[in-house]
Amino acid sequence: MALVVVCVLLGGGYVVYAALGPGETTTDASPSAGRLPSETAVMVRAVDPSRPALNGGVFVVENGKVRRRSENLACERVYYAAGHGICMGVAPSGVDYTASVFGEDLVPQHSMRLTGLPSRARVSADGRYGAMTIFVSGDAYLSSPTAFSTRTYLLDMESGERIGQLEQFEVRKDGAPFDAVDFNFWGITFDPTDSDRFYATLGTGGHHYLVEGSVRRRRLQVVRDGVECPSLSPDGKRIAFKSRIDGTNRWRLHVLDLATLADHPVAEERSIDDQAEWLDADTLVYSDGINVYAVPADGGGEPSLLVRDATSPVGLRN
Amino acid sequence: MYQVEASKALLKPRLWARRSTRLRVPRNVVMLGLVSLLTDVSAEMVATVLPMYLVFSLGASPLVFGAIDGTYRGAAALVQVASGFTSDRWRRHKEVAGLGYGLSALGKVALLAAGNTIGGVGAIVAVDRVGKGIRTAPRDALISLSSARDKLATSFGVHRAMDSVGAMMGPLIAFGILFLAPARFDAVFVVSTLFAVLGLAVLVLNVEGKPRRAPREGAPPRLRAAASLLRDRRFAPLLVAATGLSVASVSDALIYVGLQRTIDFDPAVFPLLYVMTAISFMALAIPVGQLADRVGRVPVLLAGQALLFVVYGVLLMTSVGYLALVACLLCLGGYFAATEGVMTALAGAVLPEGLQASGIGILITVVSLGRLVSSVAFGALWFAIGLHSAVLVFATALALAIALATPLLLRAQRAAADG
Repeated sequence: MALVVVCVLLGGGYVVYAALGPGETTTDASPSAGRLPSETAVMVRAVDPSRPALNGGVFVVENGKVRRRSENLACERVYYAAGHGICMGVAPSGVDYTASVFGEDLVPQHSMRLTGLPSRARVSADGRYGAMTIFVSGDAYLSSPTAFSTRTYLLDMESGERIGQLEQFEVRKDGAPFDAVDFNFWGITFDPTDSDRFYATLGTGGHHYLVEGSVRRRRLQVVRDGVECPSLSPDGKRIAFKSRIDGTNRWRLHVLDLATLADHPVAEERSIDDQAEWLDADTLVYSDGINVYAVPADGGGEPSLLVRDATSPVGLRN
Repeated sequence: MYQVEASKALLKPRLWARRSTRLRVPRNVVMLGLVSLLTDVSAEMVATVLPMYLVFSLGASPLVFGAIDGTYRGAAALVQVASGFTSDRWRRHKEVAGLGYGLSALGKVALLAAGNTIGGVGAIVAVDRVGKGIRTAPRDALISLSSARDKLATSFGVHRAMDSVGAMMGPLIAFGILFLAPARFDAVFVVSTLFAVLGLAVLVLNVEGKPRRAPREGAPPRLRAAASLLRDRRFAPLLVAATGLSVASVSDALIYVGLQRTIDFDPAVFPLLYVMTAISFMALAIPVGQLADRVGRVPVLLAGQALLFVVYGVLLMTSVGYLALVACLLCLGGYFAATEGVMTALAGAVLPEGLQASGIGILITVVSLGRLVSSVAFGALWFAIGLHSAVLVFATALALAIALATPLLLRAQRAAADG
């Protein structure tokens, strides 16, 4: 009985002590501009390199200047297009996650609870559809509750409502229905010329297929193997993607020509775990988790540091 | 401490007396239930926050996780057989179980001290798994040896219900702490450690290591005697039946994956599926155990297995309403309540006193291997012929397994009754 009392006092005391101490979920870090070409603007999320999973503020870097755009947004992952944005981040408790949909004024309009860790976010070029990928635990087969699988949702950006989940779409491969228990989808990219059309990754049985899909028809078609986190170029003819190095969790950034299905690596030689973004028709931007870099899409040149202490870059066109 | 009091209150015989026959559970079983409850609170608190902790505080990629956890499951299965036999051989079930509980408690302390690297967390998770593997068989043997032969299923029901109360409370307590102290994972680990220490203390101070049915005389069993259980005319049929049933049962993880493909959930609803199944299990474990002791363990176990047909039926529906979903989850909880504990009770009844932990260790291992085969087969079938056809194949297999298990289990039970 004495032991019970001691434990209650110790445990209760520590919780009170912890509750009074620091325990924030958002960092005050702010990014700094690197070599940003003039005439371009990127939206980024600030990161504290020592605590990369804390929510960071949303900033716009333009003409060498960094401006905080909103007091209300703090994210782990952000995307924005045509007046509609998605901000995914940790909830104030530190164990829950939320996503919010925001407008041109960068004020959250709708928010929803996420049951997993934020991974990827995209909005179609016309601002109509949004996409989110989260990592969830608990339903991976043959393994424990701490193994992860992914879930990918489609959103209507006007209402903020979920309109689909890729796990429930019909998949075809080589003209036949295709299904397996270990299907995981991630990394949607919308066709800039037709927002109903999108590409994504389907992971199953050790393969990582590029799939092409339709929002309205709720269908997916396998295109080829070995493509993760696709990102369509502004003309919709090329796809930047993560190419996995032989079964490891390391990737090189490549660019795929959709007409020929041939691909080539870009000049970044480090492993990058990010869904690349097209700054313009010739340049990719991406983050290594700490800084944002740019690299030519044609495989030439070399990476250049665009924004320091930032991730989740979004090219702001017009 | 509220939760411990509450769970004790739950088990007060008076509470149950009005509804059915008096629930008389040996003190040792309640104490072992309390040990499991406290240990499960501790374990589930950590399990709930570990993914977030790794990503949030250590900056790990979620991909690291599969690697951290998946590898140790096989090891745990082998440890079960070894610890079961060792505790029979030394006649020290309490001490061997204590080693297992102690390792897990140490793991929680280590998490506080050295949990700030990914490798460190991996090693700690491994130690925790091994601890769980070590303690299960001797603990179940203690439950069995503490109970009269005709009350075994009730005892296991009480233990499993208390265990699941702990598993439910762990995440709630963890979230409660993080609500009070956002992102302070260290506070979760401190409280988790204290629960683990309390669990170990209850085991050491309040659990009788030599309960009434525990063998005191005669030579300690040899390895050959434990191995001959595989040919024992009472135990072997039970083992075959348990293997068949486990192979034909789709694991709950896969059932949830299947449901998720069929139903367009609000993602926030998904965790509630587990909660509903757990509540159903918690509520049913004790009454089902009592029923099994009264009307016979074999019919209750087989009826519980048959509840899976409802679950398979829901998986076959093209559109699942919330009513069907709730029915499915209640049946899933009922299936768990009527099978695992009741099967262990059957084993406890047919196994000789001197080889209780060895036999239960073998049973658990065989069942977990059966589940592994089931999961691999279900995954392969899903890929080859689609989810619906795979479920139909498993429904057929389950019908066959029940048909096969019925005579085997009845034979084992009759043989046990004959002595």
